[in-house]
Amino acid sequence: MSDHLLEIKNLKITVATRRNVLNLVDNLTLAVKKGEILGLVGESGAGKSMTGSAIIGLIEKPVKISGGEIWFKGKRIDQHPDEVRGHEISMIFQDPMMSLNPLWRIGDQLIEVITTHMNISHQDAIKKAKHCLVEVGIDPSRMNAYPHTFSGGMRQRVVIALALAPNPSLVIADEPTTALDVSIQAQILDLLKQICKTRGTSIILITHDMAVISQTTDRVCVMYSGRLAEIGITKEIMAHPQHPYTKGLVASTPQIDASSFEKMLYQIPGSMPALDNIPSGCAFHPRCEHAHDKCRAERPEVLSNRAACWLLDANEGQ
Amino acid sequence: MSGNAMIRRFLKSDFFYDFTHAPIAVVSFVVIMVIVTCAIFAGFIAPTNPFDPSSLELMNGFTPPMQPNAFTGDVFLMGADDQGRDLFSAILYGLRISLFVGVMAVILAMVLGILLGLTAGYVGGWLDNLIMRFADIQMTFPSILIAMLIHGVARGILPPELRYEMSITVLIVAIGLSEWVPFARTVRGSTMVEKEKEYVAAAQLIGLNRWQIMVRHILPNVLSPVLVIATITFALAIIAEATLSFLGVGAPRTEPSLGTLIRIGQDFLFSGEWWILLFPALTLLALALAVNLFGDWLRDKLNPRLK
Amino acid sequence: MSFIIANHLTRQYDLSDPWIVRMLTSNKRKQLTAVDDVSFSIDKGTTYALVGESGSGKSTIAKMVVGLLAPSAGAITFDGKMINDETISKADRQRLRRRIQMVFQSPYASLNPRWAVGDILKEPIRAFGLFDSRADQDKRVNELLDQVGLSARDANKYPHEFSGGQRQRISIARALSSQPDVIICDEPTSALDVSVQAQVLNLLKTLQKEFSLTYLFISHDLAVVSTMANKIGVLNEGKLVEEAVPSQLFAKPENPYTKMLIDAVPDFGKV
Repeated sequence: MSDHLLEIKNLKITVATRRNVLNLVDNLTLAVKKGEILGLVGESGAGKSMTGSAIIGLIEKPVKISGGEIWFKGKRIDQHPDEVRGHEISMIFQDPMMSLNPLWRIGDQLIEVITTHMNISHQDAIKKAKHCLVEVGIDPSRMNAYPHTFSGGMRQRVVIALALAPNPSLVIADEPTTALDVSIQAQILDLLKQICKTRGTSIILITHDMAVISQTTDRVCVMYSGRLAEIGITKEIMAHPQHPYTKGLVASTPQIDASSFEKMLYQIPGSMPALDNIPSGCAFHPRCEHAHDKCRAERPEVLSNRAACWLLDANEGQ
Repeated sequence: MSGNAMIRRFLKSDFFYDFTHAPIAVVSFVVIMVIVTCAIFAGFIAPTNPFDPSSLELMNGFTPPMQPNAFTGDVFLMGADDQGRDLFSAILYGLRISLFVGVMAVILAMVLGILLGLTAGYVGGWLDNLIMRFADIQMTFPSILIAMLIHGVARGILPPELRYEMSITVLIVAIGLSEWVPFARTVRGSTMVEKEKEYVAAAQLIGLNRWQIMVRHILPNVLSPVLVIATITFALAIIAEATLSFLGVGAPRTEPSLGTLIRIGQDFLFSGEWWILLFPALTLLALALAVNLFGDWLRDKLNPRLK
Repeated sequence: MSFIIANHLTRQYDLSDPWIVRMLTSNKRKQLTAVDDVSFSIDKGTTYALVGESGSGKSTIAKMVVGLLAPSAGAITFDGKMINDETISKADRQRLRRRIQMVFQSPYASLNPRWAVGDILKEPIRAFGLFDSRADQDKRVNELLDQVGLSARDANKYPHEFSGGQRQRISIARALSSQPDVIICDEPTSALDVSVQAQVLNLLKTLQKEFSLTYLFISHDLAVVSTMANKIGVLNEGKLVEEAVPSQLFAKPENPYTKMLIDAVPDFGKV
């Protein structure tokens, strides 16, 4: 058996408008290993959240999975996501209030999740719920508190506790810290890392922030216009990005540097193409300073290289 | 942009596409258009002029639909009423009055509602309280009662010789004043959302005054729900007009609106002359239903929040 | 010479219950101090950054500096004149307004969706009476669009036809249209993607050099601030806890809150 918990093969997600069919995710292939944090990074509209929704089966009409396969623990789940949703795979959203019922005490919400997914007595469920709260750093005496009495960061901790309660093997965290202050963000990211380490839970971290990726993830998958641009070990990609887009992303992310206010930031020209206007060949070629004829004509894939870019082939050939 | 280009853009728009793919919206729109066209061109379509007493032949009274009159041999599509008036013509001319009153009353209610709602929402404070509490008080009365009250007051104030001439105007004012509250509430709500947006702050930064900001910036952004309410209020106004006329406080018997016709017809229902009531009532039903259905569709289309 | 001086700025919000409720429950008045005795000064042609987390009062200060909000206490002086002086004439007030403009956070809410871009840019030109003839105004709009990296054709388009980054450029063009001396940037890139953020930050820098603009840059992001500011003020719960030039602030922060903020910024080097 492979050490892959989740495998996505040639995933294609489309939405049909009245004029044409738009590719939200186009031929995406990736795998998540057991116990790793995989980052999905890209700008808005890159298809990263859509990928997360497809894994957990939250794709709804008119959006649909129109090609490819999703395999989880040796079972194909893209057509029957209900079997694993919430139980084997759970999700953390950007806005904690999306996952919390404002009218229920947080303890009751935890117990509800635990008894739905596990066959245990009410007494054990209470014990387990308290344990979950302790794990995310919340005093179990707050079992009877309502969500609105928590601060944003604490709410996100409650959501993490809810996501972990059924002992999932995969957690999808979609921009879990985007709505939070920087100081709280660091705490939540540390918490996710710690959970991954102690529980062996795999985490897919979806974010637009390269700095968050570099600090938190083991491997990273860079998406552009619904396609995979580059995938690999985070450290290697941060140190030596191969795809011009990844290079641009890394270089244009501001970093604390006391002298940098005198310099200009690196910037990628232009912006990501609209979904109904994706360029031919490599989707990035209009913004790429090294683009040549092949980039405009043929679409590169991630094959032997870790990046989908014709330039790498050319370099290797030389 | 030229008119042609605008039409072409509209025909290509999602709005038009959704419209053509919603059978109820298309059917109700066609019904409205047919009725409105008939009313506007009543002079050409109607066989007789029902407002002209000299054209009436008393002998034609109570002629049933599509049957020749026993004395004169005249045939009426929808029959004739007690005075020998062709009912089809009377309905077409009556529609004119009903539609005119409806449109004018909606415009009055809309202008008033937008003005008060915009002011209440933007200025806030005691003015907001004053306007909205007044609206609350008015909403505790059924709007038809308000309209009757206004009608009664107007009759008391107006000199008797003007009463007849002004009866349509009084009707419009009565209905218009009784229907402004939904406009004001909606506009106030949208205004309070819009005024917090940064484009309003940007307008304040360049020193525009309240009035300029309200009219130039906020007003265009609060209008789409107003359009929806206008359609629904239009149906309400037509029904209100019919009700008032039915109660005898609306359009005069000599220039009957749909409501007046229904009132006349009601007198003869039990003596077997059913057509005098049925045809005006069916027309009113078709019009009100079509406008309401179209308004419903428009609401779902323009303002998904209201669903 | 200090171009903008904020002197002991304080702003309180009244969060008390309505009078009648207070009478019935005998609750006291509640005051929230959003900005508490904040003083700073900005030199001409430089960027002063205010950094803080949500609720630190940074946006309230921005609003007071542009005159959208009156301070409860303290004063702001701009080029030797008091901004929040009640007694200044309408014409003087309008002259002050022209010189201080603002770029807002949301690229979506800051442009009126019903207005064409050209009209959005012309509005300040007209309000301040900068160009009288229509032809001159059109020329100025084209010039502004060019300065922010858009094309003259864009003047006839509506905001929804643009991406977030392009809208922020329009917002910057609007701020520039009155030829101001000072631009308050309230989180101008926090709603943008990284690659676009870099474009907008660079644009702001270029414009600063070209027109010798003075910026008050409000942000929650220390990394962004470090690329922009000549001087940084750190706000915590309405108080200015530390103020320093970047080299000093990042090398040896003195306040524990500043230290915590700097440590919390995810850094490429800390994998």
